[in-house]
Amino acid sequence: MSMSDATAAGTDADPLGPGSMLHQLTRQTRWGLVATRAIVLEAAHPQIGAALITNSTFVAHPWRRLRNTVLSAQRMVDPDARVRQREAARLNRLHARITGTDVEGRPFNAADSEARAWVVATLFESTVTMCRLSGESLDGPTLDRLYAEFQSFLALMDPYGGKLPPTLREFWRYYASVVEERLENTEAVHVVLDRLFAQVPAPPLLRDRPAVWAAGRALAGPAATAIVVASLPEPLRARLGLAELPGTRTLMHAAYLSTRLATRVLPEAWTRLDTVMTMLDPAYAPQRNDDVPAGAPAPEGLRALDGLRRGVSKAGALLRLLTPDPETPAAGDAATRSAARFFSEVLDQTGDGHLDWPDLAAMAREIATRLDLDVQDEDRLFAAFADWWRELQKELDTDGDGRITGHEYAAAAAAMAGSALIRIAEVLFDVTDTDDDQVIDAREYRALFRTAFDHDPGGGGEQLTRGEFVRRFLGFMAGRRHSGVYDQMFAQS
Amino acid sequence: MDGNGRWAAQRSLPRTEGHRAAEVAVIDVIEAAHTAGVEWLSLYAFSTENWRRPAPEVDVLLRLVRRAVRKHALSLHTRGIRCRFLGVADPRIPPALARDIADLMTLTRDNRRMTLTVAFDHGGRRDIVEAARSLIRDGVPAELVTEESFARRLPHPDMPEVDLVIRTSGEQRISNFMLWQVAYAEWVFPRVLWPDFRAGHFWECLEVYRRRDRRFGAAQAPATTGKGCQ
Repeated sequence: MSMSDATAAGTDADPLGPGSMLHQLTRQTRWGLVATRAIVLEAAHPQIGAALITNSTFVAHPWRRLRNTVLSAQRMVDPDARVRQREAARLNRLHARITGTDVEGRPFNAADSEARAWVVATLFESTVTMCRLSGESLDGPTLDRLYAEFQSFLALMDPYGGKLPPTLREFWRYYASVVEERLENTEAVHVVLDRLFAQVPAPPLLRDRPAVWAAGRALAGPAATAIVVASLPEPLRARLGLAELPGTRTLMHAAYLSTRLATRVLPEAWTRLDTVMTMLDPAYAPQRNDDVPAGAPAPEGLRALDGLRRGVSKAGALLRLLTPDPETPAAGDAATRSAARFFSEVLDQTGDGHLDWPDLAAMAREIATRLDLDVQDEDRLFAAFADWWRELQKELDTDGDGRITGHEYAAAAAAMAGSALIRIAEVLFDVTDTDDDQVIDAREYRALFRTAFDHDPGGGGEQLTRGEFVRRFLGFMAGRRHSGVYDQMFAQS
Repeated sequence: MDGNGRWAAQRSLPRTEGHRAAEVAVIDVIEAAHTAGVEWLSLYAFSTENWRRPAPEVDVLLRLVRRAVRKHALSLHTRGIRCRFLGVADPRIPPALARDIADLMTLTRDNRRMTLTVAFDHGGRRDIVEAARSLIRDGVPAELVTEESFARRLPHPDMPEVDLVIRTSGEQRISNFMLWQVAYAEWVFPRVLWPDFRAGHFWECLEVYRRRDRRFGAAQAPATTGKGCQ
């Protein structure tokens, strides 16, 4: 469906409901172009850039981050206004925890109103740009309506804070002035453009075929960078020192046009974001109502998606069978991994080479997001992780610089299993055990790990007791044992 | 699929060469059964007792199976053959092979033209014991245990009873093969060693089967459905 179709179908009072343009847009794969371009514009904002560089896991774990973003965006335009409110509150809490100072000593705060208004502004402007570049013209009333929807989006996120300018005419002046006066040549922009696209790890589907992924990425990475750079506003491009390469404008137009063509010509199910996410990540679960009993017939959409999932799993199986595979795995793939590998794969969530609070906060954030925790449980979880961080700092930070290097960790890794880590395991058990019956049943297990119970020999079978749950968590975190479900949560992207 | 070792010994080759030569026979028989319209074909590749063989031979066998799975996956799939494995429970099976087996089953699970069941790390007694255990675990009362309800607890309960078992190389034993399912099977024992077994031999066995008078203890002969190659 094109944007103007959505306008015709759309109506009235509820600016973020099922009839809204935003609701349609966030379900289309081409929204990925909007989001990617917007991230570059956001990273050039000094406050947002600093928050991204120090706290975000998007370079080390881009696929996990993408999945969480997509789910969050879908909740923000959920037909049920309560779901939207709840998600906005959760995002606010999440952002309020992200504060610090940048390299020049300027404080940043992810809940800053001006910064948030800019995030929404970049998403709106990138949407308009996507429509323009893909040859879809939005008339005046449609633009006004789209702008009103984004204004409501910001109001939902930040009801008492900054606002976007009241009219579109004023918006364009605001936008130009931010680009002109506020945006900088930040480190975060170059991390997104150079490292993210060039080094993005394989999506879960291709994780055990690194050669196939690397070959595709070698072509697609530079192309993605070129497409995004060519679509940036001219003054910003100049400030970033990114000259326009010959042919990139054509490439960019071709990319945008083909997304529009695909959206118009291909069956709707193929260009849906859910479809693409399912293809990349078989563990991706689109928004599902967990209260539906297991035996109940699935609604039409989910049935189609399950059919698709079967098709995708067959394609994945065929790909694995047809691509060459070394006969024996590396010797290091035993039950436990080395301290160095555990450090880089699990502990260093932000991928900056050392362990500090943002790494542990990213773990807590991932758990809180998966379980959709309420305020009290989220606070307990973060407090437990904060205690662990203090304990780690005391035990492992031998040079007292406030962060732990891989070397410091390897030297004293045995000290990991202190009482604070056991406390985290217990809190994790409590917040996962939503019905307080002191066992993790199949439904609770699925909420935390996004997969059905494993049939680990000697494991819990259809439920996990507190003792067994704590034992497994400690085996993963302190014993550095491989674990399918925890690896999927923390280690793999 | 007996006679690989003897086939190699006759040629003064190591036993593992016999296993290597067996692959051609496997593909030939699958193709012949497919052409003949056989809907259920089962191959006995590796028994639970085969683990007692020398470790290097087991290693080679496992590697050959993995290579064959990867090599023939696409052609089996394009022929509409659903591939399933029976057994495959031993922790000694390398994870890479287990994943390839799982991938092959995933890839071909919606095919219906023919179902190829590869008995690998299979033992008929073990299947029966497992079925009995599951009845006990579910607390099924003794009077509700019938032949039909018991059969539903066996692996791949949709598989019909075996009609014909072909055991090559002149061996005349059951060797723990699908004990429950072969109750009324006809048996044929061609003398040819498995690596030399070809489509022509398969057709001959089918012809022998066709001439048999199957009575199941009664007086009438039903239509054919399943075949087993041992």
